[in-house]
Amino acid sequence: MPKQITGRAVGEVGRGLGQLMNQGLQIEIIYAFVIIICSLMIYFGTRELYKLSGHKGIKYFRLGFLFFAFAYFFRSFIKVVLLYFNKEEIRAIAPFLFGSVTLFVFIYFSVMAIFYLLYSVIWKKLDKKLDKIWIFHLIALIISFILVSSGNPIVGYLLLNILLFGCIIFMVYKAYHQSKKKGFNLYVIYGLLVIFWILNILDILVPSFVQGFQLLIYMASIVVFLMIVYKVIKKTGSN
Amino acid sequence: MVKRSKLEIIKDILEIIKENNAGIRPTPLLRKSNLSSKRYNEYFKDLIEKGFVREIRGKRGERMISLTERGFKFLDKYQVIVGFIDEFEL
Repeated sequence: MPKQITGRAVGEVGRGLGQLMNQGLQIEIIYAFVIIICSLMIYFGTRELYKLSGHKGIKYFRLGFLFFAFAYFFRSFIKVVLLYFNKEEIRAIAPFLFGSVTLFVFIYFSVMAIFYLLYSVIWKKLDKKLDKIWIFHLIALIISFILVSSGNPIVGYLLLNILLFGCIIFMVYKAYHQSKKKGFNLYVIYGLLVIFWILNILDILVPSFVQGFQLLIYMASIVVFLMIVYKVIKKTGSN
Repeated sequence: MVKRSKLEIIKDILEIIKENNAGIRPTPLLRKSNLSSKRYNEYFKDLIEKGFVREIRGKRGERMISLTERGFKFLDKYQVIVGFIDEFEL
């Protein structure tokens, strides 16, 4: 009898874990889907404005969100694969594909998404004759390469994020003070976007770090993206 | 005098052409656009490349410039484009 109870209990725990895993997967898929749809809505919603104007700021703004869509796709791809299959099994099947390559692509797209958004705001202040976006691509590639090839990408990435975060907050603060518009400004939204993006990356690299707040971070990230989508739709007339 | 942005100059040139439905000759367009001939030529080349204007022949075979459908569309969307750039400080 006790053996039967133990067996049933173990079975229930297993089912419970399975349900939890399924729930985690569902949340992950819904979250990634919403963010990717928001990013693509911004990208395609501004296509006509860019095609007509050829404005560089609009170009970099759109590319920022296209890269967000790619980054979130790879982010959820890594997470779903790790959640669905056993980590060790994946490493045994295709260690290079599911390890280094996916992480490299994910880091490159995520860093470039932030760089594109920053560049869309600062490009006017730079020398107009030189398109310096390739420097940002180079930096993103170097960062991705160093982190993937180093033994411990987590520590490196955390240090890099602290540095990147400091630079971005400084630039956002300066831009906010120079801006004519005050109040709940665009730069505040961009600041929030960067904060939640870094938390999203932490969620991939150090899952235990944000375990208790994961759902909160997901919801806050969706709210930030929806705010930008709303602003875009309002201004473009939802074309 | 406030310096006009590139988009503003394009809009001004297209509006001058629009006012002349049947098309406008290059010389009055250059004069009304308030640009040096060098800058006017640069803008005109750009407008042709973007498909906003086209060259046509007038009744007496003279060279005229008229708006294309894309040019009309740009004028329609100009306020939206400027509003968007201003909103996102691009």
